Amino acid sequence: MRASLYALAFAGLVATASAASAVDIAVLTPYQSSVATNQMIKVFEDKARAAGWNATVVDTRGDMGQLASRIEDVTAAKVGAIVLVSVDPKQIQDQVSAAAAAGIPVVTIDGATAPGVALNVTSDNFELGTKLSDFLFDKLGHKGNIVKFYYSAHPGVHQRELALDAALKKNPDIKVIAEHYMVVPGPIDDARKTTEDLLKSQGDQIDAVWAAWDEPAIGAELAIEADKPDSKIIIAGIDGNPQAVELIKSCSHIKGTVSQDFDAMAGLAADGLTKILAGQKPEKAELYAPAKLITPETLGVTCP
Amino acid sequence: MTLLRRYGTLLALALIIAVFAVASPGAFGSMANLVNITQQMSLLAIVAIGATLVMVVGEFDLSVSAVVSFAGIAAVSLFGAGFSIASVFALVLVTALAMGTVSGLLVARFAVPSFIATLAFGTIIGGLTFWISDGATLFSGIPPAFRDLGRGALFGLPVPTLWLIGTAAIVWLLLDATEFGRRLYAIGGNREAARLVGLPVRRDMVIAFALSAGLAALAGLLLAARLGSAHPTGGGGYLLSAYAAVFLGMTAFREGEPSVPGTLVGAAIIAVVSNGLTILGVPSFLQDLMTGAIILAAVLVRQFGRAGD
Repeated sequence: MRASLYALAFAGLVATASAASAVDIAVLTPYQSSVATNQMIKVFEDKARAAGWNATVVDTRGDMGQLASRIEDVTAAKVGAIVLVSVDPKQIQDQVSAAAAAGIPVVTIDGATAPGVALNVTSDNFELGTKLSDFLFDKLGHKGNIVKFYYSAHPGVHQRELALDAALKKNPDIKVIAEHYMVVPGPIDDARKTTEDLLKSQGDQIDAVWAAWDEPAIGAELAIEADKPDSKIIIAGIDGNPQAVELIKSCSHIKGTVSQDFDAMAGLAADGLTKILAGQKPEKAELYAPAKLITPETLGVTCP
Repeated sequence: MTLLRRYGTLLALALIIAVFAVASPGAFGSMANLVNITQQMSLLAIVAIGATLVMVVGEFDLSVSAVVSFAGIAAVSLFGAGFSIASVFALVLVTALAMGTVSGLLVARFAVPSFIATLAFGTIIGGLTFWISDGATLFSGIPPAFRDLGRGALFGLPVPTLWLIGTAAIVWLLLDATEFGRRLYAIGGNREAARLVGLPVRRDMVIAFALSAGLAALAGLLLAARLGSAHPTGGGGYLLSAYAAVFLGMTAFREGEPSVPGTLVGAAIIAVVSNGLTILGVPSFLQDLMTGAIILAAVLVRQFGRAGD
């Protein structure tokens, strides 16, 4: 007990000492285990180090109540700024407003605009969903059956789903024959199991898999590669996840991913925060990072 | 040594608070933050108090987190359909009591192990919650007066803290000062003996499960009010934390028995550790390591005290 308490006190003193020499930035997210969220946090941490800030990351593993409590904690600790990653600030509006009222700037990455948020940096998720749907539907010749992997709880991912709905209206010969709400954390394994089941029940009817982000696409690929490696099913997702890009390169069933520039998002957020901490306003309350489609062709690969 | 044996867990809580207060006197040690901790622990403690009732009879209710999520989603959906705050509270709580009754019947009447019965029924409730919400976070239609039930302050105390004080007082009285409470402890102590002396074992167990679900639903309603939104998996974090609070509490005050004061101490330890480590700027992976270590240390303090017997 005594040793634990000494260790605890030491950790506290170290944290307090380091806090005295640099601006404290609290980086909070409920989804750090997501590859994309993790990447944004890592890049932001690098930018923070370069700027001489002391960034601390807190992950609440999908728990919004905990996230609200932890925002209250860092507000009480009077940090220099709060950075929220991959979360809609409206889900914790009271805490965001309280932080803003306490004079603590709140910046969101891959979030949304809301009262109290000084800057949100994101991709245009509706555009991402439209690019994914258009790519997949073109590949199918605007006719066929698709499986949809989605997650409406994340505001950005929900926008992609709305884009799919809009694209489906324009393509009446594309049918969604199965849809699955993803389990988060653990989307790859969840998609793998679901795809295995779907291959058994409707394997001959599935022409493509529409994945709201790359991790479900990877799960679907693992299942198809194991159970029906010769099938012509096409998979596409969003994010430009490095594992998905490698699978595209190796001519797997994943034929495309709409890449979000997470490095650019984290960089824009760090630049914006630098301005805010210097007492200036960012150019806009919401900034979009560019997106591009990655396919075997754009990677210079010729697949059979 | 006697003091350590009797109040070891409570002393551990006091020590943890003291260490954090020394490390961060301005932020952690401020009265505003200490009051805020009571708010942060309130919903977890309400769920844990419900779990305590079921653990008193020697069972587990693994559906509590699903009921927390369900209550929030059901409430916001009902607001969207034009229901008043009072009717939403009544409908959600009655539905949760009915859900708990089903769990209780499965365990007490049909002898299904509570782990399996409540895990299965919790999964059903989770499915129902996703069906109602379509998997989305629900925001719209929440009346401002409902939000006030989970935030703000009255008499200098946060409203969720007041809910916790009321809930803890009622359940504490129920367990310690009524015949029903004594029957629950008798059932938990030796179910067969309780049955042979003519106690209504099945009925009381069903009531314990119903109350557990009712309190989980109350926490779910307050969580939706606090956040101003309802998430279909919003209660997911409460299951393990609630049982950690009950188990920590079992090392306090009474000899290995679940109790309301013990559970409150357990919930307070969990909340103080999370709050203190966040304020000190400890990253979350280190927080996990230290939270586990601190909980183990708190229990060991008590065990060292016992070793002196």
